[in-house]
Amino acid sequence: MKILCLVKLVPDVENFRYDFEKNVLVRENVHQVLNPEDATALTAALAVREEFPGIRIETVTMAPRSAIAHLEDLVRRGVDRATLISDPLFVGSDTYGTSRILSRYIETQSYDAIFTGTHSLDGGTAHVPAQIAQMLDLPQMSQIVEIDGDSFGNGFAVIDVDSEDAVCTFEIDLPAVLSFAYSTKRKLPYISYENLHQEVRDRVHIVTNEALGFERHEVGLDGSLTRVTGVEIQTFARKDTLFVLPDDEGIEQVYAFLVRKGFIRL
Amino acid sequence: MKRALVYVDRYAVTDSLGLLAVVARMYGIDSCETFAVHVGSSCDEFYGSVDHLLLVEDGLIAPYDAAGISGIIAELHDRYAFEAILIPATPFGRMLAPRIAARLHTGLVADVTEIRRDNGEIRLVRPAFSGRMVAAIASSGHGPVMLSVRPNAFVYTPGIHRKTEVTPIASLTVQTSPDRRPSLRLVERRGKAVTRDIRESDVLVSGGGGVMRSFDRLELLAMELHGMVAASRRVIDSGKAPRHIQVGQSGKTVSPRLYIALGISGSIQHVAGIRNAEFIISVNSDRRAPICALSDIVVEGDAREFITRMVERIRRGTTGADHAHH
Repeated sequence: MKILCLVKLVPDVENFRYDFEKNVLVRENVHQVLNPEDATALTAALAVREEFPGIRIETVTMAPRSAIAHLEDLVRRGVDRATLISDPLFVGSDTYGTSRILSRYIETQSYDAIFTGTHSLDGGTAHVPAQIAQMLDLPQMSQIVEIDGDSFGNGFAVIDVDSEDAVCTFEIDLPAVLSFAYSTKRKLPYISYENLHQEVRDRVHIVTNEALGFERHEVGLDGSLTRVTGVEIQTFARKDTLFVLPDDEGIEQVYAFLVRKGFIRL
Repeated sequence: MKRALVYVDRYAVTDSLGLLAVVARMYGIDSCETFAVHVGSSCDEFYGSVDHLLLVEDGLIAPYDAAGISGIIAELHDRYAFEAILIPATPFGRMLAPRIAARLHTGLVADVTEIRRDNGEIRLVRPAFSGRMVAAIASSGHGPVMLSVRPNAFVYTPGIHRKTEVTPIASLTVQTSPDRRPSLRLVERRGKAVTRDIRESDVLVSGGGGVMRSFDRLELLAMELHGMVAASRRVIDSGKAPRHIQVGQSGKTVSPRLYIALGISGSIQHVAGIRNAEFIISVNSDRRAPICALSDIVVEGDAREFITRMVERIRRGTTGADHAHH
């Protein structure tokens, strides 16, 4: 059995700083991290393998070659094989193009399930998992919080999905695309000391367009169906702010404000 | 005449109605024939608001079957040739919309929060980088313009009354063949205790990392102001509060009249969710925290102390003013 994990590297947007005074985004020293929900999905896959040691886990990532070091670390954390899909032609692909590229690679593989995060931290569209499912004619479910791998051998998975008003348990036939919600409970294992410098290059596998065979007009910016026409920093109306302390006078000022605006009725 | 289709999410009817406001922004109120599609036998909220109501009869397809429903919508598009297809960006809508776009080979813009026009061309605006930036996006491709719309970003106000024609969809599509064993099966649904939605509250008392240890106390102040408690992502991720009260780009966009931010620094991620708050009062030990510039009043100090004193002051009512100046 094999689980494919679609994982993505994203800019560490949590550590973007925003300068409200100058209305600029401070982007210096922002490094790439594994998308947190993808890390949750990969951790879930590793947990399933604990139960079924025969399962192989392959990560699939579309990124520039600079991602290789990250992927080597995933192997050191227990991934059997890390695939990097990388080609200058693919740069600038929108979610539709990305889904086509990933789908074409996945079609060449045999697999039992595709694990991934529900959203990515950067784009956050959640398009790619659903589009890959559509292109490969697979069922898909998002916001998975629990998975019971016991039924894997019978061709389906039992999953819990968290929504606003309920937790639903589904059976989903395999292969399927399973998109996980972020969970602080699932954390990737650390790299053990002896594996810190383990030579893993032979388990990172690079796929270029030579293998996938797209025409130039099908991928990258040319193949995209959406076009960003402008990007701007989110601006917010500044206000004439009144600064007070939480002392008698300050509390009284806040109180008077609440009364004046009708939040406290006398 | 142009035709636009909106998808009705049965768990988010108000947000689905909001899509009609988006259609009006895109094409004008009178120059577009509006269609709503709903999986279910009736949809009262849409009567009088759309020209056509397409009802996919109960039992034909499971309401959680995104693959099947995307097939139905693709077939509806074959029949009606829509100019635009709009989906609410609810959890289900976010699974459905990408499938429809893939079927129709058309571009999809997710989580739209604003519509702009640029020389007569429609620009769909969405947040990017966790709300730190906004991107304006044009769609190309041969199919309809497709977008998912951020819940609560647009509000529908009933305008002209439309004569709604109801069309049941009984056997339109191969996707609903009774022999097809669904690949996704609902085994059990465990409802959560029904709570009010923070988006419906006029007053929100919201806590961040700075009040994590006394988060329970927020309820005291919320009760005095007849409001609800909300939280930043840090509090949610630490497990101190449930996900459905999270405000921000990855949580909910709220538009209360009053937002009291306690121990919230105001990451852009968070601020993106409170842009429409009328008044903001923030309590923070750091007067340079980003949220301060956006606040009407900044109380510089400890949030826990503020809660205690504010609750006391409100309970004292009018008579208290005298005591306060001793």
